[in-house]
Amino acid sequence: MADEGANPAGTATETEPRDAPADEQPGTAIERAEAAPPARAEPQLPMLPGEVRPHPTPQRYVMIAAILVVATAAEVGLYYLEGDVPDGLIIAFLLMFAVIKFVLVASWYMHLRTDKPIFRRFFVLGVVAAISLYLIVLTTLHVFSP
Amino acid sequence: MDQVAVPPAHDVVEAGHETPATGMGVSNTKLAMWLFLSSDCLFFGAFISAYLFYSGRSQPGPHPLDVYNIPFTSVTSFILLMSSLTMVLALAAIMRGDYRRLRVWLLATALFGATFIGGQVFEFTEFYRQGLSLDKNLFGSTFFVLTGLHGAHVTAGIIWLVSLWGLAVQGRLTSRDSERVEIAGLYWHFVDVVWIVIFTVVYLIPK
Repeated sequence: MADEGANPAGTATETEPRDAPADEQPGTAIERAEAAPPARAEPQLPMLPGEVRPHPTPQRYVMIAAILVVATAAEVGLYYLEGDVPDGLIIAFLLMFAVIKFVLVASWYMHLRTDKPIFRRFFVLGVVAAISLYLIVLTTLHVFSP
Repeated sequence: MDQVAVPPAHDVVEAGHETPATGMGVSNTKLAMWLFLSSDCLFFGAFISAYLFYSGRSQPGPHPLDVYNIPFTSVTSFILLMSSLTMVLALAAIMRGDYRRLRVWLLATALFGATFIGGQVFEFTEFYRQGLSLDKNLFGSTFFVLTGLHGAHVTAGIIWLVSLWGLAVQGRLTSRDSERVEIAGLYWHFVDVVWIVIFTVVYLIPK
């Protein structure tokens, strides 16, 4: 691929000098080691237009995925408690896990945390409008009545 | 006579990929996608509400408890959740200029999505064999329409991802096109969050 090794625009590597052999670099070995960035530092991604903060790192994305997996496993576990635990409690916990998963995906994977607030406002408007509208309709139709 | 500087042809082509900013300082494409997703909440809300309204009102069977296979649907839900992870990793890869990983993650996302759809086709086929069809009862009508529409959204997302992957393979998707991957990702994550709601409300909540 022609562009395989291309540098992304805006990354720090464009302005950094090429690595020279250790004996040609200025300063003592200790000074160079102290000046060097920590080996485990997570690289910061460049920002896209309309963003106010940089995106999370891939490690953070994996951590969110792990939480999503645990929440899904807990949901499925709750399903099998039906009959042993009051239905109301199961429904409350299932909805709580669904909300947690929804918020995690929307805020971290859809980057509502790092984008300009205008996007969050539009999306929240749609979600709140849908929940309000259909709750009113279903309540009017006595769907939640015992 | 002064000469007018003409930018190289490839710069003009690259610049054409950038979407114009609105007066709010955000790109039109991204704003349009968020508005679409916002309206899609109402769209899916209508079908989830219809399912809830008719839930428990089907006289002839099969009923949900007769046909649901929760372990199987849990696995397909897990696969769709993992496709959201591979999607953000694809975005992170293109932003870093790591085009090999971009191709890998885009293809993985499309394959996870295709696996989810394959699971849905299998589930629909099993339900049909057990006597549930679109016109069998109210449960069949609302279930197939709701999950089928979600499946149609996922299928559209797979086509989108495969086309992006094709561009990436040809080297026509570079760091300057990161926003194109981000917008496809927004759509993909949205179908994921809709499934989070459907899985809980339709499959898991006690009937």
